[in-house]
Amino acid sequence: MALAMMEVGETRQIQAFHGKEEVKRHLQDLGFVKGGTVQVVGENASGMILLVKGVRIALNRGLASQIMVA
Amino acid sequence: MSYMIALAGNPNCGKTSLFNELTGSRQRVGNWPGVTVDKKEGTYKKDKEIEILDLPGTYSLSPYSAEEIIARNYLVKEKPDAVINIVDGTSLERNLYLTLQILETGIPTVIALNMMDEVEDRGDEIHIEKLSRAFGVPVIPIVARNGRGIWELMEKAAETAREKRAPMKLPVFDKKLQETIDQVKALLEAEGEPDSGWKAVKLLEHDENVREQMKEDLKNQAGKLTAKRYGQEADLEAEIADQRYQYITKAVKDAVTKHSAGCVETKSDKLDKLFTNRILALPVFAVIMYLLFACTNSENFLFLGIPSPGIWLAGVVESLWGGLTGLAERALAGASPWIYSLVIDGIMGGLGSVLGFIPLVLVLYILISFLEDCGYMARIAFVLDRIFRRFGLSGRSFIPLLQGFGCSVPAVMATRTLESEKDRKITAILAGFMPCGAKLPIFALFASTLFADNNQTLVTYSLYVLSIVMAVLVSLLLNKFVFREGTSNFIMELPQYRIPTLKSVLIHGWEKVKGFAVKAGTVIFVSTVLIWFLSGFNLNSFNGKNAAENEDGSIMCGMNDSFMASVGNVIAPVFRPLGFGEWRPAVGVITGWIAKENVVVTFAQLYQEDVTEAYLEEYFSQYSPKELEELGFEGGVYNAEAAGDIYSENILFEGSDENALPHMRDDIQTKAAAYAYMVFNLLCMPCFAAVGAMKRELKTWKETGRAVAVQMAAAYTAALLVNMVGGLFL
Ligand SMILES: Nc1nc2c(ncn2[C@@H]2O[C@H](COP(=O)(O)OP(=O)(O)O)[C@@H](O)[C@H]2O)c(=O)[nH]1
Ligand SMILES: [Mg+2]
Repeated sequence: MALAMMEVGETRQIQAFHGKEEVKRHLQDLGFVKGGTVQVVGENASGMILLVKGVRIALNRGLASQIMVA
Repeated sequence: MSYMIALAGNPNCGKTSLFNELTGSRQRVGNWPGVTVDKKEGTYKKDKEIEILDLPGTYSLSPYSAEEIIARNYLVKEKPDAVINIVDGTSLERNLYLTLQILETGIPTVIALNMMDEVEDRGDEIHIEKLSRAFGVPVIPIVARNGRGIWELMEKAAETAREKRAPMKLPVFDKKLQETIDQVKALLEAEGEPDSGWKAVKLLEHDENVREQMKEDLKNQAGKLTAKRYGQEADLEAEIADQRYQYITKAVKDAVTKHSAGCVETKSDKLDKLFTNRILALPVFAVIMYLLFACTNSENFLFLGIPSPGIWLAGVVESLWGGLTGLAERALAGASPWIYSLVIDGIMGGLGSVLGFIPLVLVLYILISFLEDCGYMARIAFVLDRIFRRFGLSGRSFIPLLQGFGCSVPAVMATRTLESEKDRKITAILAGFMPCGAKLPIFALFASTLFADNNQTLVTYSLYVLSIVMAVLVSLLLNKFVFREGTSNFIMELPQYRIPTLKSVLIHGWEKVKGFAVKAGTVIFVSTVLIWFLSGFNLNSFNGKNAAENEDGSIMCGMNDSFMASVGNVIAPVFRPLGFGEWRPAVGVITGWIAKENVVVTFAQLYQEDVTEAYLEEYFSQYSPKELEELGFEGGVYNAEAAGDIYSENILFEGSDENALPHMRDDIQTKAAAYAYMVFNLLCMPCFAAVGAMKRELKTWKETGRAVAVQMAAAYTAALLVNMVGGLFL
């Protein structure tokens, strides 16, 4: 399912990214790797705050719906 | 033999704090060749032989933003003697991802394990020896903020640089991948490519930069090699990233003992519950912005009846400058009239008007730096993203726009932190709309003279609001008709909330103001002299006619006959539809392009001539002796000698008096025209210094010209509407 569907507090594994190559690379640099865990720590009208590799990262919802988790 | 040691690390890992601790005041800020990203170099406090360089923060050596490209190019092309890789001990895993890439370059490296105070506060333990073994380079725990451990760090770094101790090769990749890399490396080596090891990895990672500079046929061969092992569709980039992270995860697991298993809610999480709250975030943001501007330019700070820090500081600076001007006046008492006029009216007067608001800009920027350094700015950008997205920008554009309230030059420069080119271009245009410090005196002058009977605060605030409304409108239009790429993504790390040190906030704030202060000292200085010359001389100054006509033999002429008047008269018709088609207001607009602070100086110079002795006497006759005394006349008795100074100090810029500049009213007759004039100056092309900054960010003059054209069109349209529609009501 898409990361955007996750609830606050939930933790899941990253599966895939459907989007531009350069954005994918940037996400990788920030710690979003296949098989890595991601936890949703916050949410508001702009998007979501995620905990990845011990760091908080804010994403807009559109981007969050391009990341697949399981 | 001197050594160059570069500081590299993720954004917010503490590079600048360490740099400041290591170099003290021995810093030089220059520019990277071809770009305007600051290049901060310094000499090590304890050893003059060692030069230290603060690289821009970067998440990886496959760059994403303009600043990251600089860090990477420096490391791989110029090769420092050693790198100090700073890693944030509280988020080791992510930070060490860059470390592995730095180690791949083969540059002698030392790891500085920063934020150890926070690691200890959490009760976590990091086994330094194990970490050092896993990465094959020395690891030194430090606290950059208070200097703990930094001397040992430098000793190790110097030693590593001296002995050119290249990092060990690490077993990061699995056998298959490592073999592939080695094969590609051998291929590159055979062709005589330098840095073959590093390039081999980057080639497999599909790094644009490396690929661009490589021969077609080499790329094809490397492509075939990998296809043979991994198949055509293989995503080696993801594979490489994955294996790097796996290596790091294992190393961290070995070396770190966490106090509490699992994830505990940190202080930052709690603060985020408020600052990024679905409902409360915006009200909290509004309060913080209110406080920000209250501290900067409020006469009645938080309704306490005292001036805000910014206004107070401005008062101090002004009175000091006034004293200095007084001294200069006395010193020049016997000098020839034109020298006196040049120094007192031109230089002292011009610089004085600028000095008056530098404190406001300084206070604003110190506060902005505080918000940036403590981590709140990243949250604002995120919270505002939803709103900015509606009109086609990213929430990140907020930061440059907020800086625009101080000065357009750093605001335009800050657009480079935006990732999308479209956002950069639009934001650079919009930054020019913001009511920068230099525009405020224009509003103050107009509000106190032409809007004397209105609520002046309201007049000024309406212009703030207008600048934001115009920014939204123009952004919407540009998105609809010029850039159609759709909005970019928002990806931003939210650093932990940290109370920054006073020192770092002051340094950071000053760095932003410095460009502005330098501009004040150069552009404005030169332009005030130029304006003084153009408005006091004409052709007859140089053929003896003026000297013959003037009683005192001066070669200067009246303002109405000056060069300036000639220029103004040519341009004035353009502004007629806007309601101010006379030469003097037109000259004000032009001098504003040199520097916005000139507008007020020009008005004061152009209209002061009308303030004759007879006028002054009549003017002051309306005051009672008591009021005269309050204004500064000794004993409450009118005194023609003091009248001029008192008038310009107390009435012209301070008091609310519609008669302050008697002839301004003749040139700008209606309130609609007066408002249109402020609107035009608010929105039109910013000063030359800002246009120069736009050129640097937009790269070409063509793009810059387009951006300025958009600003001019917006200003003209808005002012025209104000004059036409306003004319019906006001
Ligand atoms: N607690 C703590 N905070 C630090 C330390 N080093 C830096 N900081 C803070 O971390 C923030 C970012 O530091 P800065 O030097 O600007 O990082 P840069 O982005 O890498 O240049 C600032 O608020 C610093 O005060 C440290 O060792 N301990
Ligand atoms: Mg820094």
